[in-house]
Amino acid sequence: MVLNILIGIGVALFGFILQTSVAGVNRKIIARVQKRYGPRWYQEFLDIFKLLSKRSVTHGWIFDFGVIMALGGIIATAMFMPITSTILAFQNYDNFFIFVYLLAVGMLGMAMSASGSGNPFASIGVMRALTTMLAYEVPFMIIVLTIINLSGTSSLSGIALYQQATGNNIFLIALPLGGIVAVLSLMGMLGKKPFETYIAPAEIASGPMVEYGGKQLGMLFIMHEITVFIEVSLFVHLFLGGATNIFEFLIKYFLTYTAVNLISNVNGRLKIDQVVVFFYKWPLFLAIIQAVIAIYFGWVI
Amino acid sequence: MASIEFLILFLVAAGLISYLLTKANSFLGSVFTIFAVFFVFVSLAAYGFNMTLSTDVLLLPGFSFELTYLGVYFVMIISFVYLMVSFFHPYFVDSYKYKNAYNMLFLLSLAAVLGTFFTDSFLQLFFFFELIVWTTMFLIPLGKSKSAAVMYYGFSAAGSLSMLFGILIMHQLVGSFNIADGLSALTGTNAVIVFISFLIAGFSKLGVFPLHVWLPVAHGNAPHPFSPVLSGALVKLGAFVLVLALIKISPVSFTVEAIGLPFANYITAILGGLSIVFGTLMAIREDDAKKLLAYSSMSHGGYILVAFSLMDSVAFAGGFYHILAHALASAGAFMAIAAVARMTGTTKMKELGGIIHKMPITYIVYLVAIISMAGIPPMGGFISKWLIFQALINKGMIFVAMAAFFGSIGSFLYVFRPLAALFLGQELPQFKKTVKEAPILMLIPMAIITLASLYTGILHNDVIQFINKILLEIGYPVITSSAFSLTGYNGMLNPGLIALVFGIGVLIAFIIFILLKKSRKVGLMDTYTAGNFIHTEELLHYSADFYAPLERLYEKYTTKMTDFYEGLANKVKELGRFAKYLFMSKLVEVGIFWMMVILAFLLWGEI
Repeated sequence: MVLNILIGIGVALFGFILQTSVAGVNRKIIARVQKRYGPRWYQEFLDIFKLLSKRSVTHGWIFDFGVIMALGGIIATAMFMPITSTILAFQNYDNFFIFVYLLAVGMLGMAMSASGSGNPFASIGVMRALTTMLAYEVPFMIIVLTIINLSGTSSLSGIALYQQATGNNIFLIALPLGGIVAVLSLMGMLGKKPFETYIAPAEIASGPMVEYGGKQLGMLFIMHEITVFIEVSLFVHLFLGGATNIFEFLIKYFLTYTAVNLISNVNGRLKIDQVVVFFYKWPLFLAIIQAVIAIYFGWVI
Repeated sequence: MASIEFLILFLVAAGLISYLLTKANSFLGSVFTIFAVFFVFVSLAAYGFNMTLSTDVLLLPGFSFELTYLGVYFVMIISFVYLMVSFFHPYFVDSYKYKNAYNMLFLLSLAAVLGTFFTDSFLQLFFFFELIVWTTMFLIPLGKSKSAAVMYYGFSAAGSLSMLFGILIMHQLVGSFNIADGLSALTGTNAVIVFISFLIAGFSKLGVFPLHVWLPVAHGNAPHPFSPVLSGALVKLGAFVLVLALIKISPVSFTVEAIGLPFANYITAILGGLSIVFGTLMAIREDDAKKLLAYSSMSHGGYILVAFSLMDSVAFAGGFYHILAHALASAGAFMAIAAVARMTGTTKMKELGGIIHKMPITYIVYLVAIISMAGIPPMGGFISKWLIFQALINKGMIFVAMAAFFGSIGSFLYVFRPLAALFLGQELPQFKKTVKEAPILMLIPMAIITLASLYTGILHNDVIQFINKILLEIGYPVITSSAFSLTGYNGMLNPGLIALVFGIGVLIAFIIFILLKKSRKVGLMDTYTAGNFIHTEELLHYSADFYAPLERLYEKYTTKMTDFYEGLANKVKELGRFAKYLFMSKLVEVGIFWMMVILAFLLWGEI
């Protein structure tokens, strides 16, 4: 049991280091796309450690407690995440729903802390973040319902193994409409343009994060990196067939994140009500069509 | 040895005593109420769980009782909520006009609850059902509004009369009021009629679409300590009637092949899905914290309805678990709101703010309650939702699952609103001096209910084992569960492990936090305002119309149902006026004319 927990903590740490590096590399890539030189690949690490070392201000106990709960909830979620079907802290318990709902604890902690700061910009950011969540989560869940119904398991490593079995395509190909929906939902989850309304730096002073500085902001940065790790890994396991070894995982992870980042950088930003209307129009429609033809008719490529 | 009859009679007698005691001294009467409920709860817990509660009838001729696991489960939950809420009475009854009646009716309604669940006769079920309606109907107007009571009674009466109709049909078939005989004798058209009439009764009590209109009005306007009872306990009566209808009656209908479910059950599941969606959408835009929680009860009623429609062990277990989890969460949340309302005198979210600095324990109670309500681990609501999702996914019910997912994500949105508006945000100046933490006697039940929420979320096995007994009793296979794992159709869950890992995560985060440099404390007004100088707290407190951009998308459709019922009420009134115009004329000739017509009609064929 202690070993499993240590493996879990290792996965969370791995996720943090991986995502922070990948994000750094991506800053470089995006800079080249925009014909800039860009920062060094380890710039994100420097940012985080600088923030952690600075003195900061606090707005009362809930402001700090929320940050601790946010980071704690996210670390706990990451501890359940499989890397490959063997590098996995808790065999059989990597249930999809744990990720969706345990992730919400972290989100709730952050929302609580942000609202506790007493800054209306933060509250607006929280409102937008939750509204965005309502938008992208439902189409995504319907596609995952289809996947679980087809593969007969809701364990992430189980779903990955199902796709690796001979005769089965990865779900991005097996469920093409669902794949489109999943990519759009992933962009919403990661807060990439055009769905980055809740951060909206120029508009609401970086949203929920407006009041933070120093170690609180540093911890929220760590939380953000691990959250991205969880979301991208979810996509890798659910739609790209997981990984048989760690290098395959790294490649799939890097390609997914970079692809989403590149798509997002040629987009503008939607208004928050446009985000909701968008997700409840085409992605939801496609998700339902995909679920109906896959579950009721059994048409899977 | 305690018998059911004794407990009921005890509660009736205690009700009368508390009436007199409260008249003399309201504090004494309320404390007596606490002890009376405590005695009943302890007797039920001691004898109910191992089924040794006696069903003998010595003093009440014509009554008969029956002890079932199903009844015990419901009664334990409801009496627990009653016990917890009774601790609030000493602080609230003084503000009500008929404070002695308040305590008496409270105890009487608990007596009626015992009678409802521990009976084997339909007539008795109806009698106690009506007793609950009548006692609670007089409790609700003690809050603010009389029309709320009228609305509550209207819908409840429609439900109970519809149930009576079904009962009479069964009586005609078998010649007795026995529940088991009556339900098993149903075939053909009769089954369909009784099924529908029981569904109407269940819907109207549970407050699910389309009979949900009374829920926010009654919950929102009921006395503050009675709202937790209404939402946490009494609404569950509807679930009991639904269990009777959906599990024990199988009306003739074709099977929907794709999901392997009878059409009638599919329709009820869809209705459950609709109430999840509508409840969520209405809750998101509600400004009164109690009405918001009432709409969330409607949405959770939808989950219960969906669970019991699926004809499946895992779903039933999820439904039963959800009844418990929601009772605890909803009672906890309503009690926290009641504690705030006692201090501030309002439950409107736009008038409140920053209470957390004065009422931190109430805040924690509310936080745990909403975590359970939103179905986030490590609370009970997660396990029940997980079980329901398992069944939904296994059956491949896309549209109902869509509603369920929508409701569970939407619940993050609406439960966060009172959290942000009441407790967080700027500390408004009018509450800085006057508000202080709730008294210890109110904190005790809130703490207990919080721990109970946590308990159901971590140690699921005790509850699941009891639910397994219910499942056997109603003739369904049990679900697999051990102390550390719970098995659904497509995966396993270990609630204890999740709680442990969550604890470890928080511990790591706490260590990181504590190791770093200490932060400097600044005031709430010392915030980034983009260069504007703002000196009043209200202007920096964002709580009214929290989800305005989202609300704008659907707000023009929100009054459709209330408009429909208002229209219906107007039509009934018009019909009444028309009848009055026809029959109640002042002219004698008209009266004589109608008498003749009726006489002629009655004698039709005789002459």
